Amino acid sequence: MKVSMTVNGKGVERDVEPRMLLVHFLREELDMTGTKIGCDTSQCGACTVHLDGKALKSCTMLAVQADGADITTIEGLANGDLHVMQESFWENHGLQCGYCTPGMIMSTTALVQDNPNMSEGEIRHQLEGNLCRCTGYHNIVKAVQQASEKMGGGD
Amino acid sequence: MAIGKSKFRIDAPGKVTGETLYPADIDRENFIHAKVVFSNKPHARMKRMDLSAAEAVTGVLGIFTAADVPVNEYGLTMFDQPVMVGVNATGRSKVPSDVSRWEGDQVAVVVAETPEAAQAAAEKIQIEWEDLPLVHDVWDGLKDDVLVHPEAGTNAFKHYVIRKGAMDDGWAAADVIIEGRYEVPHQEHAYLQPEAAISYVDEMGRITIEIGGQWTHEDQEQVAHALDMPAEDIRIIYPAIGGAFGGREDMSLQIVMALASWKLYQKGETRPIRSQWSREESIIGHHKRHRAVVTTRWGATKDGKITAVEADVYLDAGAYNYTSNKVLGNFHLCVAGPYEIPNARIDSYAIYTTTVPGGAFRGFGAPQGAFAAESQMNKLADALGIDPLELRLMNCLHDESIAITQTPMPAGVSIRQVVEDCASASQWHQPLADAEPFQAFQSLAADKSNIRRGRGIACAYKNVGFSFGFPERCEAKIELYGSVEIERAVLYHSAAEVGQGTHTALRQMTAEALAIDYDKIEMVLSDTAFTGDSGSVSASRMTFMAGNAIKGAAERALEAWQNEDRPAVGQIRFTPRSTDMIDDVTGKGDANISYGYVAEVVELSVDIETGHIHIERVVCADDVGHAINPNLVVGQIEGAIVQAYGYAVTENLRVVDGRILNPRLSTYLIPGIKDIPLQVDSVLVEVPDPQGPWGARGMAEMPFIPLAPAIAAALHDATDVWFDKIPLTPENVIRTLRDNEKTS
Repeated sequence: MKVSMTVNGKGVERDVEPRMLLVHFLREELDMTGTKIGCDTSQCGACTVHLDGKALKSCTMLAVQADGADITTIEGLANGDLHVMQESFWENHGLQCGYCTPGMIMSTTALVQDNPNMSEGEIRHQLEGNLCRCTGYHNIVKAVQQASEKMGGGD
Repeated sequence: MAIGKSKFRIDAPGKVTGETLYPADIDRENFIHAKVVFSNKPHARMKRMDLSAAEAVTGVLGIFTAADVPVNEYGLTMFDQPVMVGVNATGRSKVPSDVSRWEGDQVAVVVAETPEAAQAAAEKIQIEWEDLPLVHDVWDGLKDDVLVHPEAGTNAFKHYVIRKGAMDDGWAAADVIIEGRYEVPHQEHAYLQPEAAISYVDEMGRITIEIGGQWTHEDQEQVAHALDMPAEDIRIIYPAIGGAFGGREDMSLQIVMALASWKLYQKGETRPIRSQWSREESIIGHHKRHRAVVTTRWGATKDGKITAVEADVYLDAGAYNYTSNKVLGNFHLCVAGPYEIPNARIDSYAIYTTTVPGGAFRGFGAPQGAFAAESQMNKLADALGIDPLELRLMNCLHDESIAITQTPMPAGVSIRQVVEDCASASQWHQPLADAEPFQAFQSLAADKSNIRRGRGIACAYKNVGFSFGFPERCEAKIELYGSVEIERAVLYHSAAEVGQGTHTALRQMTAEALAIDYDKIEMVLSDTAFTGDSGSVSASRMTFMAGNAIKGAAERALEAWQNEDRPAVGQIRFTPRSTDMIDDVTGKGDANISYGYVAEVVELSVDIETGHIHIERVVCADDVGHAINPNLVVGQIEGAIVQAYGYAVTENLRVVDGRILNPRLSTYLIPGIKDIPLQVDSVLVEVPDPQGPWGARGMAEMPFIPLAPAIAAALHDATDVWFDKIPLTPENVIRTLRDNEKTS
């Protein structure tokens, strides 16, 4: 089946097997491997991308369902310089092995855009769908808090 | 000073932008695809294997089995596993290859043009099996009715003893004796990146594997052994690695992918092969933290001096040894805790069963030992009416102590200080402050009358570095470039960056050792073609060993620089003093060169109606000797505590009849952000290790070790009930509480 969408600002069109998941489309068809696969059962959130501005686990959707959508992946988040959230994960040691990091960053950027004034409790609540096995999460929360202040929250 | 500072991670920019390549992200033209086929038989003898239907699948390029492995045996510390189970095993191995002893035993690797073709062919492999009786658990194993490895003569293939002092004297001097039986479960590593690898023959003719592991040169040696080739014909490269925690110490795809590339290359097929496991394959296909049972008895005088400890440890090794013999050794020493024990009788057994092998996992036997030892200490304190903190201070090891191994403790024993620092940071001597009642379920309001609060303490020690005579080594090479001044330095090192931040620490230590600017350090890392044997990232050893190696290499490079060598090169293979295997009869021996020390206090609430546990705060005091990068150290503490929380509370691997029943993250629950302790206070204690580089001490496993017994102690404080079995899932908590109501 033909599918076309915008990925990181560029139009792409491919002929794909109808059962292909969006995450496989990004990784295998477009060679954009920043989006990770960690679990196959939609638990871990490593494959989170933005679909029309909302965070979405890209293993929960078929590529053909994303026809016409505007997708942003971790590769498309920075605009020349690092995105504030990327910088903040770096500066707050919000990552170790880094495998959950693209998903964490995509989830949290969408959250903060929607709600720049989240409390610590709200941040924790919103990150329930992203697993990290290394950091113990505390530095991730710090990173999101700092980025959220810089992104215009707290005013 | 480049050390002692929280430099940002050097690998962060690539990781936050998605540019970093993990093995499954590497792109090559013309990949072909490999699929590993598991036996799917916990215990069965292969009678016949027919590949004809599989080979006929369009796109199949080759199917490789036991018949293709020159030396069909594998094992990190002893060869007891066939690389692949098969009827036509060839080569020199004495390991019987026709029996599957575990559902994850590998029987074939299929290579095809597409992953779909490889999968289709894998399903068409026909195998005739003769089922053999299962050995379900350690009790089944101990009967020796069915031998998992008949050639070993018994399932209880490894036995360590401690015979210290005179037990009769110990019991006679005891005013109080506490008996306990403790059960600890398997634990799955659940690193976020499932196993993946690529393999090819490189431009120098070396069979090359790019994979995530923990020790490039051990991978190289294991592949070379099975393929019957010199090590230099095998090349191992580590790209980015998505977590390890001990779970990547043993081989997953290394040997079979190397075999496939080699066999296909001989047929003129030079395209690179790629393979990746699903989460399910990862959980079925690799080892776990060992489940175990401990029965133990501790005696003490009424004023709190420990007089005797006896313990029997039963470790479920699973189908193969992996590192069980070494894990058992640590368990054996840790089951008596970091205390002066005048009289001890300990017998520890590793027992083969037809279940998933046990192996390395952060703590390496120490968490299991500590759960028994620290629970015994807390029960002793309770029975004696002595504060559990004070009881620890009365008995803890110090620099002049004789260890449980009947040899002097290595200098720098700091258990007293970590316990004291933990107590003061946690305000142990103040009453436990109130906390908001927690709500187990969002849709049901908190019922304050069901909430009980409690606080508990535990402490622990564990060896740093290889132990029991296993040869230590760590190589480093440094090149200095420039003319009058050093303009740049290049470090060559194999330390695996599994997320702990070792590459950042290596760079800091190199700058420190050379006394040059941090930004002038470049590194060539983790490629056996260029970097020397570093030993594994395990046993909390890498900072300790690599720091010493870097100091030695820097010294030599600077000497060469003075002699006008350009570039000036310094290279060293650092070896600390050697260790001994403990004696078969007495358990005496100088088993370890260095230890890490840690103490933790847990404050929690438990809902006695639903069994849910909510940890408000963990205070961890960990002696790190000298924090090379304090923020990275804190990251290790916070991460270890959350992993240990999973071990103690949420993670429940169910293994029945040799089968893992829940090999998915949907049913095996690692902690999410809402499960974890709300607050973790890390106290970095810095008592220099006399042998450590700049005094640094290994630390990354320590914070894991005392958490489970500290939680059990806090639960006792809250409910007056002892919890001797983990995980403390809601149903296990409720069951224990109810059982206790019945008996009390």
